[in-house]
Amino acid sequence: MTQTGSAPSQWVPVALSNMIEAGTSAGTVVNDAEIVVWRDTAGKAHAWEDRCPHRGMKMSFGFVRGDHIACLYHGWEYDTSGTCQYVPAHPELEVPKSICISRYGTTETGGMIWAYTPLGTLEQDSPPDLPALEGVRSVYIDAPVAQVSGALEQHGSTPAGNNETNSNFTTVKLESTVVTVGLQQISEGRCALHIAVPQDTTIATREALLDWCEDLRRSVEQLEAAA
Amino acid sequence: MILHNYDLYEDCFRVRLLASCTEQSLELVNVNAFPGAEEKSAPYLKLNPLGRLPILEDGELCLRNLSAILIYVAEQDAQKRFIPKDSAERARMMDWLGFACQDLSVATEARAVALLDAPGDVAVLRAKARQLFRILDDHLTRQSLRGEIYVAGKSPSLADIALFPAFALCRDFNLDHDEFPAARLWARQIRTLPGFITMPGIPDYH
Ligand code: FES
Repeated sequence: MTQTGSAPSQWVPVALSNMIEAGTSAGTVVNDAEIVVWRDTAGKAHAWEDRCPHRGMKMSFGFVRGDHIACLYHGWEYDTSGTCQYVPAHPELEVPKSICISRYGTTETGGMIWAYTPLGTLEQDSPPDLPALEGVRSVYIDAPVAQVSGALEQHGSTPAGNNETNSNFTTVKLESTVVTVGLQQISEGRCALHIAVPQDTTIATREALLDWCEDLRRSVEQLEAAA
Repeated sequence: MILHNYDLYEDCFRVRLLASCTEQSLELVNVNAFPGAEEKSAPYLKLNPLGRLPILEDGELCLRNLSAILIYVAEQDAQKRFIPKDSAERARMMDWLGFACQDLSVATEARAVALLDAPGDVAVLRAKARQLFRILDDHLTRQSLRGEIYVAGKSPSLADIALFPAFALCRDFNLDHDEFPAARLWARQIRTLPGFITMPGIPDYH
């Protein structure tokens, strides 16, 4: 298992913006660390450790209420600072401020939600500077992220921001469309690609892009299975 | 209509969900399936020699096949709201209904192994179910690109009702929803259908 402590601190794309609607949550994993990504009803995205301090239930199984996220198990509610504000079993209780969930630095750019990992590191660099893009799909692949990057290079990808070692995205040209691919390492053998395109991209191109995604996943996984 | 029912079986829930969303009432006969295995008792084997639930009775009619039950209940709905009128769309609906009732039975099985002591290898079944949910997620991604948010078109159909429980319950056998973002959005739509109900394992968020 990857030691999360040894991973360099970096911005990692964890979801496409349009896949996390206001008032919803989803779970994901970066370098074996479980993360809940959620959007409050005002539209702001959050990425936190996916663990309720009460009994350890995954917060991603819970539900969003306004600017709170509630745990599915016993309904403890946390505000956007990660602090527990409400314990249903003791509605009168003034909840101690020490009960809180650790948060990742979170931002949105290029049609993706990004988290600054690993947990507890201070943001040393600014998030990637991407244009306004629209998410097409996230594709989850059973192969190391390096394997997938290699396959993308064969498609003529240009790693973005040449000097940045941990940019975690790349661009690929599909016909005349520049496709931005956010790279998320889930674990040593698994990764996710978050695919985004300029807003004026045609439906036909997007459909071709979906074929391309499925082909890529199939070919990379076949190689991986044969290795 | 009488449904021989066990609350924790997802296949029974599919029928209850459909009845509720079509505003039809079912007379429930609760069967002690776990741990009693009552569906394998002599009187039940008379109703269904396969020893399985659900069983639907309506007068002389006695149905044991899940898709047959679902189609029958959907057709008893005066509005037939979950059966597309257009023949191509109806065929697509049937296609996905087959996926839900036959292919995805591995997910039902995985859950029965994980929760209800059924024999089987949960890791193998989980891997199979994961492949199938990938297919569903790929499909729903394409659907939304075409402006169709449901599996067989712009409106919810019987196939969506039949598929929802399998997806909603897959965490019961340790398959998370993380990797299926399009299916997640779709499941959220199903939850907003008038008459939507839950079962243990499918939380009610209100
Ligand atoms: S585990 Fe979260 S409220 Fe109890």
